[in-house]
Amino acid sequence: MRRQAITTTMVVVFMIQALIIGGWWLGREVYDVSPWLILIVTCVTATITTTVAAFSITDYILEPMRYVWQAILHVTPEHSGTAAPNLENAKLGRELITSMAMQVYQFASLETAGAREDAEHRNAIIQATTIVSHLPLPLFVFNKEQLVTNVSNSALSFCKLTSAELLGKPLFESLNLSFPSHKETLETWIHDCQNSRITDTSYWRQVHAQLKDDNEPRQVDLAAYYNKDNPSGTEFIITLFDRSEEYNKEDQQLDFISIAVHELRTPLTVLRGYIEVFEEEFRGKLSPELTDFMRKMQSSAKTLTSFVNNILNVARIDQNQLVLRLEEESWPDILNHIIDDMRLHALVRGKTIECKIDDNLPNIAADRVSIYEVVSNLIDNAIKYSGDTKEIVVHAGLTQDGFIETTVQDFGVGIPAAILPNLFEKFSRSHRTSTQIGGTGLGLYLSKALVSAHGGNIWVRSKEGEGSVFGFTLQPYSQLAAELKKGNNQDIVRQAHGWIKNHSLYRR
Amino acid sequence: MDNSSPTSNKKILCIEDEHFIGELYARALTRAGYDVNIVIDGIEGLKEAQTDVYDIILLDIMVPNMTGIEVLKRLRDPTQTPNLRAKIIITTNLEQSEEGRAAIEVQADGYVVKAEITPKQLVEFLNQLNA
Repeated sequence: MRRQAITTTMVVVFMIQALIIGGWWLGREVYDVSPWLILIVTCVTATITTTVAAFSITDYILEPMRYVWQAILHVTPEHSGTAAPNLENAKLGRELITSMAMQVYQFASLETAGAREDAEHRNAIIQATTIVSHLPLPLFVFNKEQLVTNVSNSALSFCKLTSAELLGKPLFESLNLSFPSHKETLETWIHDCQNSRITDTSYWRQVHAQLKDDNEPRQVDLAAYYNKDNPSGTEFIITLFDRSEEYNKEDQQLDFISIAVHELRTPLTVLRGYIEVFEEEFRGKLSPELTDFMRKMQSSAKTLTSFVNNILNVARIDQNQLVLRLEEESWPDILNHIIDDMRLHALVRGKTIECKIDDNLPNIAADRVSIYEVVSNLIDNAIKYSGDTKEIVVHAGLTQDGFIETTVQDFGVGIPAAILPNLFEKFSRSHRTSTQIGGTGLGLYLSKALVSAHGGNIWVRSKEGEGSVFGFTLQPYSQLAAELKKGNNQDIVRQAHGWIKNHSLYRR
Repeated sequence: MDNSSPTSNKKILCIEDEHFIGELYARALTRAGYDVNIVIDGIEGLKEAQTDVYDIILLDIMVPNMTGIEVLKRLRDPTQTPNLRAKIIITTNLEQSEEGRAAIEVQADGYVVKAEITPKQLVEFLNQLNA
């Protein structure tokens, strides 16, 4: 463009000079005019020509600047009416002007985008704040010092606190939480996250939340999110799902069952105690008939005790509250002990129990009390459904895949094929025998749940009129050893009917 | 049970409000050679336990005036009962909540469901504790 401007200016200056010299020459040599007149005419002509040329050149040279200026005005919001320059008409430096105009447009566009981003960011913050405030769930946001930085309105009403009472305060000052397991709490999770995680989520069920001035604790599910060193300072987010109504209802059901169990157990304890006194005092002194009656009383009291336990355990299984603690046990010891206990039960009903246990069975992983219930339920069924036959056969051996399999066989009425598939469901009983033989239909349901909790399987093989075989498998202890090593308190069986700390379990 | 058993002269405090059960336990334990004292009230039971003359305390949970859990807590609190030498066995027919169970596991030396054992079996249980 520079070259173009210089060339144009030089041509104009040259033309003016040529005009002056040519005029001078014509006046003097051709028309012989007086020098003064030539001088005046030449001066006037030169002045006019130079003025015109000056204007023209200035216009010409400044044209690019005008275009660029027009482009700037075009993108300035205050001059939004200014039309965009038509760069096609540019005479001087069209490419440069076009490039500059494009640059102007680009800057303008970036600036507009930045402004738009700022606006969007502001909108996003407003939107997030609105969501947090109006989320219909108690939501707490807190920083790495565990100070609350934001809460939803629901959280305020849940805690019955004002935002001033909650914000900037330690979370646990406002929210007293009690978790089902003391090993997996929000606090331990926070600690783990801060030590070893970048981001994490976790969920807890049935957490008790004790609120200020509220005697009745709320029961909630709790979801938590962690993001290490989040630039916004939002390191933790937790949400509560208030399930008090649902959990309280379940608790009440279990409470009711617990109370009923307590009320049933007290007279049972007394009955079993006095029967034992009589049995001791009159041993050898009673007629065979009275001895038989005494045993029947003992057996019936024991049966009722087992039934009470069945009810309680079914309620626990249904509400997912049955916890077993598996320990290393000798299966022949346990099995012989159970069968010894059940012999009286069989004897008073005219049955015998034959027990065959293979040698060299590995130790099993079992909850002694729960597995007692499984075997006693199966033997009790065998006694009930053995009809006129007398023999019940119990066998324990090793399967090909290394599990310990125990079978309980009777040779009685058998089970119709049609009901076999549903046999382990709650209240499932043979419709043909249910009117003749007592039972609740809970025993097999409970046995299946307990065997599954041990990591084994339960099965049945039966033919009507020929009897039934019930079998279940248990895992060798060695298979579970690694898992057990991870836990503590292996000496304590939580849901046992009896334990002694750091001592072998009491054997009933 | 003969009086020459190793349990001779061992003193047992039985905090139990159910008279029949108390009577049965006292009979079986006395015949096994234990010296048994039955108390039917939680507060009285606590006071008696704090005399620290007992080897074993059988503690029911549902006893009047102070629950067995509270008695257990105070017996394990060194500011209230320093250096209690007795072993504490919870004897109950009540199913515990998870919290109650956790507290018992930490603080008691043993736990039995009364309906599950006869008085004679309780004696075997306590002999095992002494072994």
